[in-house]
Amino acid sequence: MQIEFERSGGITGAVLRLTLPEGSLAKDEADKLQALVEQSRFFELQSSPSAALKPDRFHYRLTIEQGPRQHTVDVDEADAPASLQPLLQALTALARARAHTPRA
Amino acid sequence: MYRAVGAGSPRPQGLGGVFCIVPPHILREVSQRGSPAQRGWALNTLAISEQLRGRRSVLGGLALSTPTGEKRRTVYDAQHGTILPGRRIRSEGDKPCGDPAADEAFEALGATYDLYWSAFKRKSVDNRGLRLDGSVHYSDSYDNAFWDGSQMVFGDGDGELFHRFTLSVDVIGHELTHGVTQHEAGLVYAGQPGALNESISDVFGSLVKQRKLKQDAKDADWLIGQGLFTKQVKGVALRSMKAPGTAYDDPVLGKDPQPGHMKGYRELSYDNGGVHINSGIPNRAFYLTAIALKGRAWEKAGQIWYHALCYRLRRDSSFSDAAKGTAQSAAELFGSASQEQKAVEMSWKEVGV
Repeated sequence: MQIEFERSGGITGAVLRLTLPEGSLAKDEADKLQALVEQSRFFELQSSPSAALKPDRFHYRLTIEQGPRQHTVDVDEADAPASLQPLLQALTALARARAHTPRA
Repeated sequence: MYRAVGAGSPRPQGLGGVFCIVPPHILREVSQRGSPAQRGWALNTLAISEQLRGRRSVLGGLALSTPTGEKRRTVYDAQHGTILPGRRIRSEGDKPCGDPAADEAFEALGATYDLYWSAFKRKSVDNRGLRLDGSVHYSDSYDNAFWDGSQMVFGDGDGELFHRFTLSVDVIGHELTHGVTQHEAGLVYAGQPGALNESISDVFGSLVKQRKLKQDAKDADWLIGQGLFTKQVKGVALRSMKAPGTAYDDPVLGKDPQPGHMKGYRELSYDNGGVHINSGIPNRAFYLTAIALKGRAWEKAGQIWYHALCYRLRRDSSFSDAAKGTAQSAAELFGSASQEQKAVEMSWKEVGV
């Protein structure tokens, strides 16, 4: 499984990005993400361009490639389905942790 | 001479039935016409009813906003969840509750209300006295604050990069101004109108801070979000209106990407077309105007921008429209060919618009 994640917006305007190539995660982390992807039914989700763009809310763009399947979902934080939230939170935490690595 | 203006169209307030023995239309009447004690009772009852019905979190729109005609703040604790508004912890007239985030939010909501009322004779976000509600401790490690269409929401920050978002009074002024813009020009939140929407929030957010500190334009720091970064971040704030692009340069956050001139304008596929980035250009135009006009920035430059927001900008206004609209506003407020109008025109020219 390969993942590309981007969170933009928010009052800070800072963009958080994460690219996870195939095999880049430890097995337990990869298993956890795999479970969240399945739980969210990611490959069945539609992008939901917001009818009214909302000031200072986060916007997510997530692309996952797995075997022959590749799918992208674009969604505002306020419109993200509940099933997708745990996956977005996990990827946000992972992106933050990776971004902080250079400090160590 | 200038004149203060108050604008904002009255909106229908359809509450529908609420869980209360007194019908909502009577509560609304009492909330506007009763004695202070009666108004307090009616507003609290309306607020509790809205909470019980959970309708704010579902609809979150203007229809549930309760006009008060006076400053009325309520702060809630979201208790690290995402269901709004949460548990009420401080209302108008209460002593500080001891929760720093809640007390900071309460004070900053008041500072924002005070700027709009004293400088522009505007009654709250909708100019009808909309009650100011804010929820603190939203979600976990949430690096953000936002206006959801009817209330403020504040995260505690992740502690690594950002402190709690109630620390910065201009951030709270910024968010409430999104509500003002929603009720006035209604600038679409994408592309140039979106960057103008962001800039207007920065402008009035900065004015809230400057008025609180009793500062002249030349003494202000013109920073947005000063104090939000932890010590680990190499930077002073989220944005600088005086020198866009210089607020931070950090290994994790990168370099502040804001341009201060049209030469640096960027067409972007994210952030709704770079609304938080290109806003540096109109931000600097306002800063230059305020410096040129000297004194308190809300007394001249702020009046011009507020007039333009209420009467000259539309939902699809571009930077060029804003330049024309603010120059026209300066002429209407201070006279054609006045030094104020010339200062506005020079400022936009200097940023390449």
